[in-house]
Amino acid sequence: MKGFLCEDSLEGIFTGIYDAWDSGLGHENVKLFMKGQYEPEFFWEYEDVAPDAEKSEKVARSIRRKISGEAFRVVYRAALSAREERADVIYRFLIEGFCHGGVALRLLQKKAVADVFELSRKVANEAHQYLEFIRFEQLKNGVLFSAISPRSRVITLVAPHFADRFPGENWVIYDDVREEAAIHMAGEEWVVAEFPKAQADAFLEDQGEADGYVDLWKVFFHTISIKERENPDCQRNFLPLWYRKHMTEFL
Amino acid sequence: MEIGKNIIGLQEKLRILSDAAKYDVACTSSGVDRKGAGGAIGNSVAAGICHSFAADGRCISLLKILLTNHCIYDCKYCLNRRSNDVERTAFTPDEVCSLTIEFYRRNYIEGLFLSSGVFPSPNETMERIYEILYKLRKVYQFRGYIHIKAIPGADETILDEVGLLADRMSVNLELPTADSLRALAPHKSRDSILKPMSRIQKKIVESRQSMGQTARLERAWGVKSLSSGLFREESYQKRLEAEKDGAPLFVAERGAGLPSVRRRQDIRTFVPAGQSTQMIVGATSESDYHMMMVTQALYRQYDLKRVFFSAYIGLNDDSALPAPGTPPPLLREHRLYQADWLLRFYGFRAEELLSEEAPNFNVLLDPKCDWAVRHLEYFPVEVMSADYEMLLRVPGIGAKSARRIYNARRFGRLDFPDLKRLGVVLKRAHYFITLGGRQMFPVSLEENRITAGLISDNRKKNWKLTHEENYRQLNLFDDMKLEAAPEIEDFKKAAGGQL
Ligand code: SF4
Repeated sequence: MKGFLCEDSLEGIFTGIYDAWDSGLGHENVKLFMKGQYEPEFFWEYEDVAPDAEKSEKVARSIRRKISGEAFRVVYRAALSAREERADVIYRFLIEGFCHGGVALRLLQKKAVADVFELSRKVANEAHQYLEFIRFEQLKNGVLFSAISPRSRVITLVAPHFADRFPGENWVIYDDVREEAAIHMAGEEWVVAEFPKAQADAFLEDQGEADGYVDLWKVFFHTISIKERENPDCQRNFLPLWYRKHMTEFL
Repeated sequence: MEIGKNIIGLQEKLRILSDAAKYDVACTSSGVDRKGAGGAIGNSVAAGICHSFAADGRCISLLKILLTNHCIYDCKYCLNRRSNDVERTAFTPDEVCSLTIEFYRRNYIEGLFLSSGVFPSPNETMERIYEILYKLRKVYQFRGYIHIKAIPGADETILDEVGLLADRMSVNLELPTADSLRALAPHKSRDSILKPMSRIQKKIVESRQSMGQTARLERAWGVKSLSSGLFREESYQKRLEAEKDGAPLFVAERGAGLPSVRRRQDIRTFVPAGQSTQMIVGATSESDYHMMMVTQALYRQYDLKRVFFSAYIGLNDDSALPAPGTPPPLLREHRLYQADWLLRFYGFRAEELLSEEAPNFNVLLDPKCDWAVRHLEYFPVEVMSADYEMLLRVPGIGAKSARRIYNARRFGRLDFPDLKRLGVVLKRAHYFITLGGRQMFPVSLEENRITAGLISDNRKKNWKLTHEENYRQLNLFDDMKLEAAPEIEDFKKAAGGQL
């Protein structure tokens, strides 16, 4: 039994898939893991997978060609998940995918298909929730700044929405878990960049400013609730506490 | 605008005018896809986006405010009525624009929902609303969502202009019958409400035609595609005829695929997100049957996008109304939303769910379960071969799981664990289905036993139903496994009773 240890990136996972497939050991004798997110077991052999752009590109191309563009999007989202089993779930799905082609995504009765769907759906849901719950703070220099602590790596999924919405603004969406940010300059394309915490803190320290609209928003938020219908359970259900950490109305 | 100086004054206004607006339930930002554009701000997402959830669990999507709470009318159920002694104020157009734009930039909201008391006259109120709308769209280049409440009694010409800049318009019916309206809203009449509604409808039709589109494109899936949907009179009548002869409810056509869900491409110019309305539940004595028949008629005759229900909250002490402090009928409101959902997405009709003889919804069972146990003659349904529409009617099978079953069964036999993976809630569904001719558990199809089973399956919930005043934990999607929310917002609002 052999475990392939992938780096946490699409390239890392795809390279792992390539190597595991290519090893010729048979699907039932290989398993993919994420580096630093697995428990070594006896009688298992482990191999570190070095990300390789070419192998990764081959896997990506095969998914698009032999399964479908939709399948690629599903896999892409699943790879952004933080769940430790993500690389292996994608691998198992691809076995079905390369066997059945485009219809594979409809075969939800198969565990491998259902699993990748589930993973992908969770990431998509989380990304959608960030479209809702991201809050920008207006800084002195006019930049709109937002910090988030997502479970999945969602910034590449949410940035296009805000680029379309605020083409004329400078904005930053900062993932403080992964210390990276999507950065948009007015009139330009957005980019992802590393953004160490110290740098983010210094930036905010320097540019933070009291903003009258924060208080106005809080007034609105509290007034709009109907007392006779109050229901904190329902509120928590839709807006779990862990999102609130960065939300203006709860600060 | 420089707001720093007058921030306290603005806070006060915002407090008063959002407080006065909060009883309107519609807060959806759905129905229109509009991309952003260079030099402008904002876009719109057809599925709608909720930005926060207030302490009452309702979604906050739009900046919901009144332009003013001054009002020359005296509707008995309304806090702003002329005869009430409340703090009164009004926003300036610039204040509304700045709040909208600045809230929007910070991603607090999807846009604006602007309504107003009638002051000093319907026309002048509507003109001021138009001024705000014009500024937002033309000066600020705002491409986010705007919902405008039409003021009954305003001229058509001004409504026509507003409709070209707003995404959604609504005229609230408030009360389902002309009599109730006369009793509670002496300055409004059925006519003054229905007139703007049909005007808006007419303009929508015109703008649609100019783009070569038909109404069908915008209608909910259930009302147009399912064979007993509200707009399928002919096939519904046929079904009724066939049933008399003892034919099964729906017959699967061999090899027939599911109608595909088409996305709307171009946005028409007039009220692209459609028209909605709202009715108050529990202020007057109409039955659920009556409410549903009116709802159905509104969908049919005015092609409304949505009908909202609002549980009456006793605010005014008035002999014509329930006493203040009467708990709002939240369960009833919830059942009406469930039924509305069944009309729009499941191809049910009001007269299938209720009748003159049984005019109110079952307290213990949701309308779909209730319908199923009253129609055991159609069950059990064989999952491997049943028609899509019949699958839709099985409790525990939602629109999405029905679609998945339909797709999956072509590739081979399914078993019960497979169904679970496809999203079926077997706890509910198992009474009503067979798979390859077998039931999951041997249970006989008897109304009492199934009802008892369905109820005890939700013992905890039902305990709440009968023992707690707080019916609110009920979740529509829990009840009916309606996981296929066509609009994400719908999904969220359902539980807040806001759908
Ligand atoms: S018209 Fe009637 S419902 Fe509207 S604000 Fe005036 S009193 Fe209230």
